[in-house]
Amino acid sequence: MSTGVTQTGGLVTELSGTGASAEPESTGPHWWQIIWASPKARAGTIILGIYILVALLAPVIAPYEGTRTDFEALLEPSPAHLLGTTTSGGDILSQLIWGSRVSLLVGLFGGLFATLIALLVGMVSGYFEGTWVDEGLSFLTNVALVVPILPLIITLMAYTETRSIWFTIFVITITSWAGAARAKRSQIITLRNRDYVTAARLAGDGTFTIIFREIMPSMTSLIMAGFFGAATGAVGAEAGLSFLGLGDTSSVSWGTMLYQANTQGALAQGLWIWLFVPGIVLAVLITAFTLVNFGIDLLSNPHLREDA
Amino acid sequence: MRYFLRRIGFFLATLWAAVTLNFIIPRLQPGDPAEIMYKKLAGKDAELDPAKIQALRVMLGDPAGASIWDQYWNYFGALGRGEFGVSYTYFPYDVTAVIGKALPWTVILVGITLILSFLIGTVLGAFAAWRRNSRFDSVVTLGSTFIGTLPAFWLALLILFLLGYVLGWFPTSGGYDSSMPGWNLDFIADAAYHSFLPAAVLMIVGPIGWILGMRNTMIMNLGEDYVRLARAKGVPDRQIALRYAARNALLPSVTGLALALGSLLGGQILIEQVFDYPGVGRLMGQAISNKDYPLLQALLLFTIVGVLLANLIADMIYGILDPRARKASS
Amino acid sequence: MAALLEVKNLTVRYEPRLHRPLDAVRDVSFTIEEGGFVGLIGESGSGKSTLGDALLRLTTRPGRIAAGEILFDGHDLTAMTEDELRPYRWRDIATVFQSSMNALNPVVRVEDQFRDAIELHSPLRGGAVRERVRELFDMVMIEHRFIRAYPHELSGGMRQRVNLALALANHPRFVLLDEPTTGLDVVVQRSILDAVRTLQRQQGFSVLFISHDMGTVLELSDRILVMYAGKIVEEHTSADLLRRPLHPYSKGLMGSYGDPRAETVRLTYVPGRPPDLALELTGCPFAPRCPEAIGVCVESAPELLPLGDARVACHVAHAASEPGAVQPPRRFAGPEFVKTAEETREARDHDVLLQLENVSRHYRVRSNLRFITTAAVESASFELRRGAVTALVGQSGSGKSTLAKLITGVEGPTSGAITFHSDGGPLDVGSMRARQLRQYRRQVQMVFQDPYSSLNPTKTLRYILSRPLRNYHGLRGDALSRSIEQLLEKVALTPVSRYLNRYPHELSGGQRQRVVIARALAADPKLIVADEPISSLDVSIRAEILELLHGLVADDGVTILYITHDLLSARMIADQIVVLKDGRVVETGDALDVIQHPQDDYTRLLLDAIPNPFETAAATPPARAVTPAPAG
Repeated sequence: MSTGVTQTGGLVTELSGTGASAEPESTGPHWWQIIWASPKARAGTIILGIYILVALLAPVIAPYEGTRTDFEALLEPSPAHLLGTTTSGGDILSQLIWGSRVSLLVGLFGGLFATLIALLVGMVSGYFEGTWVDEGLSFLTNVALVVPILPLIITLMAYTETRSIWFTIFVITITSWAGAARAKRSQIITLRNRDYVTAARLAGDGTFTIIFREIMPSMTSLIMAGFFGAATGAVGAEAGLSFLGLGDTSSVSWGTMLYQANTQGALAQGLWIWLFVPGIVLAVLITAFTLVNFGIDLLSNPHLREDA
Repeated sequence: MRYFLRRIGFFLATLWAAVTLNFIIPRLQPGDPAEIMYKKLAGKDAELDPAKIQALRVMLGDPAGASIWDQYWNYFGALGRGEFGVSYTYFPYDVTAVIGKALPWTVILVGITLILSFLIGTVLGAFAAWRRNSRFDSVVTLGSTFIGTLPAFWLALLILFLLGYVLGWFPTSGGYDSSMPGWNLDFIADAAYHSFLPAAVLMIVGPIGWILGMRNTMIMNLGEDYVRLARAKGVPDRQIALRYAARNALLPSVTGLALALGSLLGGQILIEQVFDYPGVGRLMGQAISNKDYPLLQALLLFTIVGVLLANLIADMIYGILDPRARKASS
Repeated sequence: MAALLEVKNLTVRYEPRLHRPLDAVRDVSFTIEEGGFVGLIGESGSGKSTLGDALLRLTTRPGRIAAGEILFDGHDLTAMTEDELRPYRWRDIATVFQSSMNALNPVVRVEDQFRDAIELHSPLRGGAVRERVRELFDMVMIEHRFIRAYPHELSGGMRQRVNLALALANHPRFVLLDEPTTGLDVVVQRSILDAVRTLQRQQGFSVLFISHDMGTVLELSDRILVMYAGKIVEEHTSADLLRRPLHPYSKGLMGSYGDPRAETVRLTYVPGRPPDLALELTGCPFAPRCPEAIGVCVESAPELLPLGDARVACHVAHAASEPGAVQPPRRFAGPEFVKTAEETREARDHDVLLQLENVSRHYRVRSNLRFITTAAVESASFELRRGAVTALVGQSGSGKSTLAKLITGVEGPTSGAITFHSDGGPLDVGSMRARQLRQYRRQVQMVFQDPYSSLNPTKTLRYILSRPLRNYHGLRGDALSRSIEQLLEKVALTPVSRYLNRYPHELSGGQRQRVVIARALAADPKLIVADEPISSLDVSIRAEILELLHGLVADDGVTILYITHDLLSARMIADQIVVLKDGRVVETGDALDVIQHPQDDYTRLLLDAIPNPFETAAATPPARAVTPAPAG
């Protein structure tokens, strides 16, 4: 249950500034001002920023390559290995830093692709509301919604030999778009029936202008919320898959670290750092996504601003 | 009545889609799926063992290398007769027998914790909404949001590490110790002791969705005119909270109950993996690592059908609870 | 008679966390006697519903009763705990809410909702309760079979009757009616209000009737409170308020309500908008909009003081009561909208612009697996004349919106012909293709009902107005800017520079509707289809929009099709009236003719549903209770 994805209330009056160029005389706050004004969302944005920096600068920051396993096994934390080493001789800190790349990549692209599919299906379905096209797409959406996702992903992944990060992203994408598609469909239907859409048609605007200049600006907050929701899900799913040993074998991710920790007896040997750190960085990343979504909720639902 | 027929119609259509999906997945790669599977299993240059190939074919609905439509037809026939093929991991046991053994473990664990989570979560959420902005509300809301961001399997690892290994209060793996499985008191006590940690994780993570969902809809319902009217009528607070606001706020949760089952089963796979709990989730893990395709396919199908059935039941209950649903859908 | 309800210096304050606190109800005092029927008029934001909530002790955070007393039968409701208050609720004080849709719990049978209310406050149980519910259903004339129904199985009118019956379940002494008929069809509205008045006479409960609808309040109530900016500005008997309103705002409200049978229509409107209550107010809150304001008005706030048998909060009115003082005008001395019968007579001879011949529109609706055909419009024929205003009058479901879609070319007719006589010869609207349709739409523009949903909240006025100018006239750069400025000037949004870069949510309802009209004008159309253009606006500014539309007809020769459910407003602006019922045209004719000599029964029904305080006031002596009109 990701926050806010279902809030299609349509109170978009405060969305000023998303569409037209910034006007010095306009009095409404810009969307980034609204998000920034919420302490929760600000914290989320800063954390996310740090994660992105770490991922980008991994080659500079990380003491070693993440995939190196030629150190002495089970070293205690020391200046050379700040968080110690694993049973198979990997540097935990380096794995952690390099692992951020996988999680962020999966989050970014998994979120992006799932949002795009959701947008496409939701838009077409909503725009052709009541036709057979809509009936078909809605049925597809409902099926995708009730089918248990992780078992399906696992089965799909079990059939393939290739274990690349892109295949993970692909599988997560095609199994996780449905909820957002349904939310977007109903949003499109509300927006399409707004009088200003009819008015734009009467003002001589074409279908593309109407979709991109009249309808889309009012949907930005929903799309953004959908993106962060999908990204959260994708990061979690990647970790889960890697934990089952279905992750990319050529790179290190936090899920893989936990998989190795679990299978190589970290619990029995009391190696709590190995067990603890990958989970906590994962939890903090997911927290950051959730916090940013609080801010996006404020955009689409001005009532919440009272209460923040 | 029309509502119920429509829901049953959707159930049948989804069921058909799920079975078809199950049929298609193994055929997504080019070549003879049975032979490819076999080679993956036994290594590239292995001799083809006709008996095992045949087992795969049965599972695929493809006994004689027939056309794709005949295969599709045969597949349905095999499902109708309850033939899912033979498991590799537990050769020569039938897949259904293997699953039948694991199923009670998962069904009992998930069933009990799901119902408890639902009840606890709904009550906490309703109470938080009723006492909105109170200390209780802030603690519950913030707490659930925070726990909601923790990956459930990692939480399971931590709990296992702490209570199982460090403190040694609970067994660290398996579903039972010594006694033979059976419906006797000793065994049930042993199983409950082993199930405690997985159940604890499920009970920490489970109620969160219900708490937040119930709180949101309840707050919305408290602003409705019929709640204001109830206050104007002089209806006591407790009754307003229960009969008016909570009664209505419960409706979305009922539909959510079945949908939650889908994601719950996903998490279940990971949690059973952590605790080495002898349920369906662990079986799925084994099927993956052993490339036991017949078992995997059957598990996927069982899971999907189970979730679909749960959805159907939830839809029926919803139809009884909300008189509008019966009429509005057409 | 003894005072049943006495409100003393009541103030309701809102303290939202992120905004300035404001007093929505400020220092209000009044009394309602046993058996009295008191009306409370005010526009949106005047605080009338906040006051109603406070009387029921339903004020919720961030609002609270900040000061004052509400004495019911001598006991202060504001000082009671919820437990002390409970015995009063629904036994003594009951209510019917504004939106009938949600006042009943959707998942509980109607009978059980009555049972709740009755068993909580009376010794009746079991069969006796059922008997009482039957009685109540008889009272509001609903068949007994609906007793066991769920709320969604009742029509909107029935639901509101049920709410009324529910309010009367325990023989209350006081009933608060908060806009009980808003959103219902006029004929249904009339029958419910008649039921209210009849039951009130029979049972003798007191009523506070809150509404923005001048006509019904004047007709039903004995005494009226006029509210503005959180204060009561005038208290007067209905008959006298109509004859000689004292406060200029009351005059403004009276002036916006016209007599449909008069030869020449005169409606006044109050320019400007109500003050922002979150800001410090000095002087009279109405002074900035008041044509009678004098020096003292901007310096000190007037108090609500007795004047004759009325009370009024106005320096000018009190000064005028001094012997030998100059008398202020009886009518609102502000701007006015005038429509003469002469204009209508001239318009009759204009050329035909648009002609509908036997136009039908059928819809195929899928119901399970079968298709059912429904007729939204059935063989409609009428004409629109150039430079005239034709009103299309009908209730919801009469097919008037479908006709608007057919005329603007959004949909095509199933059969029949719609012919548009353009400068380049006749055009068949029904058979046009995309490109022709685009050219046609340039000549036919629309004004919508709700100015909040017809302007995109994410766009500036400059962008909104630029679209038709770019698309239809190919204007760019300076020429575009000049045209936009001219449009804003035309709809009197000046100085233009202050509005160009504004977003719609920064404007008032009236200003938004002006922008909508400007956008319609930008295409330089021949015909404007105005779909309920004033029904979502405050009463005091409706005539302002009528005046603007009327100016387009008079100065630019634009033709207007005015679509409405309200025969009264149709009469005010239209030359011709077309009455629609169930997709069929039942009557057409000159506006005044239709009003004075209706031919069709349905038109007569609509006419009877219009509250006519002018007539009732003329028929009764001053300061006396009003007789209800016979049931429609």
